[in-house]
Amino acid sequence: MAFSVLIVDDSPVMRGFIRRVMTLSGFEAGDCWEASNGEEALAQLREHEVDVILTDINMPKMNGEELLRQLETDARLRSVPALVISTDATKDRILRMISLGAEGYITKPFTPEALREELERILGESHAQ
Amino acid sequence: MKPLVVGISDCKVSRDSDAVLVTYALGSCIAVAMYDPAAKVGGLLHYMLPESSLDAAKAQRNPFMFADTGIPRLVEALTAGGAIPRRMTVRLAGGAQVLDSEGVFQIGKRNYLAARRILWKAGILIAAEAVGGEVSRTTRLELATGRMWVREGGDIDRELLEHRASPKKVMERV
Amino acid sequence: MPNDLERTAIADQDVDFHVIDRVAAEVLETMFFTEAVANGCDHAWFGSAITARIQFEGSHVGQFLLGVSLDAARSMAAGFLGLAEDEMTEKDCRQVILELSNILCGSVLSNRWPDSRLSLAPPELAGCNCCKEHAVHRCFALTEGALSVTICCADAPEPRV
Repeated sequence: MAFSVLIVDDSPVMRGFIRRVMTLSGFEAGDCWEASNGEEALAQLREHEVDVILTDINMPKMNGEELLRQLETDARLRSVPALVISTDATKDRILRMISLGAEGYITKPFTPEALREELERILGESHAQ
Repeated sequence: MKPLVVGISDCKVSRDSDAVLVTYALGSCIAVAMYDPAAKVGGLLHYMLPESSLDAAKAQRNPFMFADTGIPRLVEALTAGGAIPRRMTVRLAGGAQVLDSEGVFQIGKRNYLAARRILWKAGILIAAEAVGGEVSRTTRLELATGRMWVREGGDIDRELLEHRASPKKVMERV
Repeated sequence: MPNDLERTAIADQDVDFHVIDRVAAEVLETMFFTEAVANGCDHAWFGSAITARIQFEGSHVGQFLLGVSLDAARSMAAGFLGLAEDEMTEKDCRQVILELSNILCGSVLSNRWPDSRLSLAPPELAGCNCCKEHAVHRCFALTEGALSVTICCADAPEPRV
């Protein structure tokens, strides 16, 4: 099964790192969309169906927290799993993002293998549903 | 079972399903094990140092002494033997921090970081590892199955299994 | 004999150093494949360093400065990107250093102040590796080159003279 992913991060090199992990992880290559903030992410999601959203929190224009709030209000997008990838390791933030519907939370720095493992868990679970 | 011993600064690749590649005395050195389950070919490299620029002449004589010359040659030899890199299971062992005779920490960590850096550059993710700490290790790779075992300090072998996604959700970890 | 305020300042600084050392090592080893060892400051390389700055506000206000020697920047950037140094553009190198500053800043601050609520501005390249406010500063020797971290807090109490 091919998986489509939306990578949301204001750093182009971090988006590239994540994209490379997706490719090397052995997931059958689907479409890989990118956005540099929450607004661009919503625009991409209006155009394309994706199986998972990988999002940073700290971004200009619309941050990851607001993005998740917007996704929760949309009947179609609410069921797309979102994995948060952020430098913020505070318990308060992690709990807040989970309460907004995040399926997972990885703190930066992370190894490629740790990201692969989390993707396998999330995509495996949503595939099983 | 036919043991094929891989020495220090050495590398062996085989398709013999009776063979077991084994290497001993992994202190600060790193063993890199690669196995393609479809082609049933595997290889084991045991290197001592991270970078060949430390001693270019030695690297010419023995590329398996260094991570940056040894790992690419291991991949090449496996590819020549029918392996496809994206199918391979890759595991690491070793990289302990041990004191040398002058009381200075050896370069276990640098060896480990070199392996990770080179494998990331080669587009290869690591399936499992038994690295760091202060114990010497022995490791063996069974070519019939691709299974790998590590012995750390004592005399009990443990199998080095691939990391698999844990069912524990993030809420349980916070 | 230090008084209570001075003992607190000394203890706080020890915590600062401990957190910075631990987090810097974790960040640099995990995504940049580089060992970092805290050492005494030799700033001879500052003149040609790449410096990144991140302003932060919220429960604490200040800025985070990262200085990286040129050789360290090129080596770490190539490692992160999975490229050889000569395959990498200067723009890519700068982008990686900005992302390194973002990861270090976010990670250091959230570990140092785990109950904080902070907003971090996007990282930007800076002209100099200096700040006027009360600062915590740490230098590291890397596998190749050197790196420094400086946290300048506008809201920290002035140490008693």
